[in-house]
Amino acid sequence: MGLDIFVQSILNGLTSGWIYVLLAVGLTLVFGIMNIVQFAHGEIYMLGAYCSYFLIKSCGLNFWEALPISAIVIGLLGIILERFFFRPFRNKFEPSIIVAIGLMLALQTIAVVGFGTDTKTMPSIIPGVLRVGGITLSWDRLLAIFTGIVLISALFLLVQKTKIGQAMVAVSQDTYAASLQGIDVNRVSVVAMVLGCALASIAGSLMGSIFTTNPYMGTLAITKGIAVIIMGGLGSIPGAVVGGLILGLIDGIVPPLLNTNIANIFGFVAILVILLFRPRGLFGHE
Amino acid sequence: MSNLKKFIKPTIYVVLILFFFLLPLFVKETYFIHVLILVGINIILASSLRTIATTGQISLGHAGFMAIGGYTTAILVMKLGISSWAALLLGGIASAIIALLVGFPFVRVKRVYFAMLTLFLGEIIRLVITELRAFTGGTSGLLNIPPPDSISIGSLFIITFDTKVAYYYFILVLVLITLLILYRIESSRIGRTLYSIQQSDFVAESVGINVISLKVFVWCVGGFFAGIAGGFYAQFVRNLTPDSFGVMQAIYIVVYMVIGGRRKFFGAILGASILTILPEIFRVLKEYEPFVFVGVLFLVIFLLPGGLVDLPQVITAQIRKHRKVESNDA
Amino acid sequence: MMLEIRDVTKSFGGLLAVNELNMSVKQGEIIGLIGPNGAGKTTVFNLITGFISPTKGQIIFEKTNITGKPPHAIASRGIVRTFQQSAFLPDFTVLQNSATSCYLYPKGNILEAIFNTPGYKKKETAVYQRAAELLKFLGLEPVKDELAENLPHGYQRLLGIAIALSAKPKLLLLDEPLGGMNASEVSETIAFISKIRESGTTVLLVEHNMRAVMELCDRIVVINFGRKIAEGLPAEIQKNTEVIKAYLGVSEDATQC
Repeated sequence: MGLDIFVQSILNGLTSGWIYVLLAVGLTLVFGIMNIVQFAHGEIYMLGAYCSYFLIKSCGLNFWEALPISAIVIGLLGIILERFFFRPFRNKFEPSIIVAIGLMLALQTIAVVGFGTDTKTMPSIIPGVLRVGGITLSWDRLLAIFTGIVLISALFLLVQKTKIGQAMVAVSQDTYAASLQGIDVNRVSVVAMVLGCALASIAGSLMGSIFTTNPYMGTLAITKGIAVIIMGGLGSIPGAVVGGLILGLIDGIVPPLLNTNIANIFGFVAILVILLFRPRGLFGHE
Repeated sequence: MSNLKKFIKPTIYVVLILFFFLLPLFVKETYFIHVLILVGINIILASSLRTIATTGQISLGHAGFMAIGGYTTAILVMKLGISSWAALLLGGIASAIIALLVGFPFVRVKRVYFAMLTLFLGEIIRLVITELRAFTGGTSGLLNIPPPDSISIGSLFIITFDTKVAYYYFILVLVLITLLILYRIESSRIGRTLYSIQQSDFVAESVGINVISLKVFVWCVGGFFAGIAGGFYAQFVRNLTPDSFGVMQAIYIVVYMVIGGRRKFFGAILGASILTILPEIFRVLKEYEPFVFVGVLFLVIFLLPGGLVDLPQVITAQIRKHRKVESNDA
Repeated sequence: MMLEIRDVTKSFGGLLAVNELNMSVKQGEIIGLIGPNGAGKTTVFNLITGFISPTKGQIIFEKTNITGKPPHAIASRGIVRTFQQSAFLPDFTVLQNSATSCYLYPKGNILEAIFNTPGYKKKETAVYQRAAELLKFLGLEPVKDELAENLPHGYQRLLGIAIALSAKPKLLLLDEPLGGMNASEVSETIAFISKIRESGTTVLLVEHNMRAVMELCDRIVVINFGRKIAEGLPAEIQKNTEVIKAYLGVSEDATQC
């Protein structure tokens, strides 16, 4: 494998990686605070991609205008989801799965009905390449990685420096104790959901622009997302970052060497083994 | 009078079975028979999933076992020329073997993790099937799978599988055998023991119940019947692609079980039946059809959390409440 | 010696829950295991019954080394325990709880259960008969058709004992059976424990209710911080200064809060 292809594989891997991170962070946040696995999170990601697509194609915005607007719209959707679909089933494993499955189907159908089943593309978020030495780096991927790093850093700051962030930490560690301290668990849940949906929307928009958009990208994403949060530890944000990057790099490096299927098999088998020997993942606590 | 009561349930079953056996005589519409065949397949899938769930473990990878059964049966018939009946049985056994191989480490983990483990297992199975192109045809699939071998008794009684009706009777027999075995497991001492594991696994363990072995046992039994369903499916649709056995399919089976109602044996049958027929009834809505499915799902999960089997109970409770209110007003 | 605990140590991370414990149980006796909260008593139960494995040491039951065996295997050898928190099958009735716990005796057979053979039906009748007798033995017959989770607390603890007895233990480990009981329930249960011993079962009793311990036990072992600090007859233990210090030490700290 030539150096150029190798570096590009790494770049692709880091791009996918940071997109997975943005997706998985929301998933792990919701799990930590509401104790449910939000199976429809992949569809949120997919809707983010379509929202951006719609804003770009039908409203004439450019990607960097569409991205935050989609994030806000999808984030607001998160308020509705938390209040009506997930709050009644907080901490209840089985019903929350069924509700999430229902949402999966509903959201996927909305996308199919609204946009059709064919794959869509968006204009590049930034055209062109950067040439360093003999290596070619696409600007769009570099920018996606940069976006991911900025957003996750912002999230870390939010969690560590703000009151609401500290409240989220408290609730995810011990919901009952947090409520005794006067923390409004409902409000924290809404914030977690909104943040998660917004980040997923951004992840979807990036993926949809750099690669492609179709109604089924959510189903692929949710399996990846769950794999990431298992590897990193359910409820752990640093874990989601590490897990996302590892899986992203696998997806970047293995396919050029072998193929995509084997990359996925490898990833899932690795997760399986981790789950069996260290169920709490790399950073999880239990 | 109590002597007669004992015979009510068995009589109902006999009448029902007779009804389904005689159905093709007065229903000629092949589309209807086709849908009933799909119902049969889903009943086997949902019921076998439910048996696994009696120990409290929800599997999100049941479609994977169906895939193993389907592809094993098809490959054995097409590449090794084995009789389709033996191949079907071997398909079920192959699934049970895979279940056994991963069983012991899988059942030790907590329920949340078990669900996710099975999700990944299902995906791994699907991806491996896609990779083994030489055997399975990869993404393009396995085409032109032969129908089941003809049955001939003497030279007078011959059944060839060139009509939907033949498949209908085939799946009817499979469903009856499956339900009989699963029902016996459920309602016997075994079922009691399995259910105790769900309620309190450490109490069960403390009185001598080998919780892990039993969990693996039901896991294999569930896998076996999913494999049988898969083998039948392969011989029925006669083309297999790995995408028929993905995450969504596995999730649908879980939905059938939970919407029907996990608590009662009949729940899985009810859920599979209603949720297979519903999309067909609303086929006219084309791409809007899933909204009906989703609507039913949300109605049940919000109003009848125990599933559709709870409907009679809830209705009688409501009637009683109204009667009480009326008599209070009077 | 029915049960021998030899140099058993259990550490969790750096914390020594049980520290080189040596004790034994003679057949037919009621032996008490007491100590302040956190002394390690439930850990000892978990070690004996296989719910956790010792870091060091051996557990010998009827001359066989049972160290590290899983709980169901130890139960089938004849050691059954109750749990400190109320432990029963909540969705089952009291009778079903006991019948399900008769899993080991008579031993079942999967095939005969599936085919509903006459042999199986006979076993089922025997199971329910034995379950009913057991409930009668512990005064639970009046509530036999009640859902276990609906029972008042005292009955739930008795049910825990019934569940354990269903497995026909040679050695019964009772983990604070009197917890949360009122005075008359305590007296009744003390009588039941005596009856259990009289019917041939050896009993290892962990209890905080000192009156019950002194009344029931032939011998008492006292542990604190996972170590044995005293052993002997009830009268001796009552006067033992180490024991008094251990218990007083705890209550002194408590009043200093």
